[in-house]
Amino acid sequence: MDRMLYIAMSGAKEVMLSQANNANNLANANTDGFKKDFNVFRAQHVEGPGWESRAYSMDERPATDFSAGAIKVTGRELDVVTKEDGYIGIQAPDGSEAFVRTASMQVLENGDLVDVKGNPVLNESGTPINIPPTKSITIGDDGTISIVPADSPSNQLVILDRLRLAKPAAGDLEKGLDGYARLKEGAPEALQENVVVVSGALESSNVNTAEALVNMIELSRKYELQIKMMATTKSHAQKSDSLLSIR
Amino acid sequence: MNRALYVAKTGLEAQQFRLAAISNNLANANTYGYKTGRAEFDDLLYQNVRQPGAQASQDEVNTLPSGLQLGTGVKAIGVQKIHTQGNLMITDNQLDLAVEGKGFFQVLDQDGNLMYTRDGSFQVNQNGDVVTSSGYLLEPNINIPQDATEVSISRDGVVSVSQPGVIEQNQVGQIELASFINPAGLENLGHNFFAETTASGVPNINNPQTAEAGAIQQGALEASNVNTVEELIGMIEAQRTYEMNSKAISAADGMMQYLNNNT
Repeated sequence: MDRMLYIAMSGAKEVMLSQANNANNLANANTDGFKKDFNVFRAQHVEGPGWESRAYSMDERPATDFSAGAIKVTGRELDVVTKEDGYIGIQAPDGSEAFVRTASMQVLENGDLVDVKGNPVLNESGTPINIPPTKSITIGDDGTISIVPADSPSNQLVILDRLRLAKPAAGDLEKGLDGYARLKEGAPEALQENVVVVSGALESSNVNTAEALVNMIELSRKYELQIKMMATTKSHAQKSDSLLSIR
Repeated sequence: MNRALYVAKTGLEAQQFRLAAISNNLANANTYGYKTGRAEFDDLLYQNVRQPGAQASQDEVNTLPSGLQLGTGVKAIGVQKIHTQGNLMITDNQLDLAVEGKGFFQVLDQDGNLMYTRDGSFQVNQNGDVVTSSGYLLEPNINIPQDATEVSISRDGVVSVSQPGVIEQNQVGQIELASFINPAGLENLGHNFFAETTASGVPNINNPQTAEAGAIQQGALEASNVNTVEELIGMIEAQRTYEMNSKAISAADGMMQYLNNNT
């Protein structure tokens, strides 16, 4: 039997996977700080004896789009977002350092500063930040955290700590299986930098929903093309069967 | 089965959850002392469908430069209470109190447990005790004498009354405020009350205008901090995202339908 059917099958199967990825981008269209994933297809030649006339398709996630999403102002002092290509360092659940563009921070009962998922927010030296009882917390443009301690008058600001801010190159970041962006293996260490931080705002997801919808339609149509190829294979097979039939 | 279907389903659920949180905020847009809640989302784990660096062919030079990791959707991780100050509404009612700062009034429930509230619309019960509008006692208890003609409450929480025939004001109590290091961790009891949890930390009890408690404003109430415009925009956004995710479901469905009908 002609292997053409399998080629069409690989096309259809990979388009289906790509559709799942696109659906994931869409599902996270409202997740603050979410970065959409790219999807590409490539031809995978079948090597071996005989003519290299067959190329299966292969769907890949080569990278994540780390471009900025829209900024939405919330007015909450512990919501922060970095400007341009800066990142804030947080500690991922596995203890490694992860980078985020935006964090909705909270102070825990023991004073630990964490993001909304409970990951500790790191300071300049890469250790979690702890905040003593305060009247108010202010986060400056350069990530400086200043507080008014609970037992002092409101005009006595104390500089407490500074957020871990870095500017890793976009190509040096990758999204892990837990959804956190980390430095790629072999990438240079991200150093503390002067990155502008805005407090009182969050970055929304960078998913372009119109683009995702168009992509969805395109994938659906491409899927149909693959099915058409399968149908063609079927009619080919039927034709050759009828040619050979003894009547 | 088709993954896209399941992924889009999580998207629908998340938007439904968001709409529920938004409608609760809108419903409480006029509730005194209500703090708005913001739905927070998290992307789910990614699945490694094809490992990067795997062999593309028998030849060892051919390895895959990138693999395929598929996200599995979105999850609502909670509604975060945003404890920003609400607007003060002047009511000129003697027992209407608003807190300007982080503090909460302490109230005793029927079992004697402490509850915390920002809703300062207090009244006096048949015994002269200061109670919330739902009848729970303010803690520490403050008793207003039957013949009091005027109650005045200072910014630092001293309650004094004027009585007929007495020239000097009579001090009858001191209001205390509780503050929490992580107010977002308080448990919502409904009826404008919050309860302490491990996440919120233990209450710091202070007199108003000391430490982080904040000052008391007599004759005013704290309006809810719900920003209705923001909520309406959130509602539109949730609805549209819901629609788009349902489109993803129908696209995935269409693909399978086409497969079934045409092979």
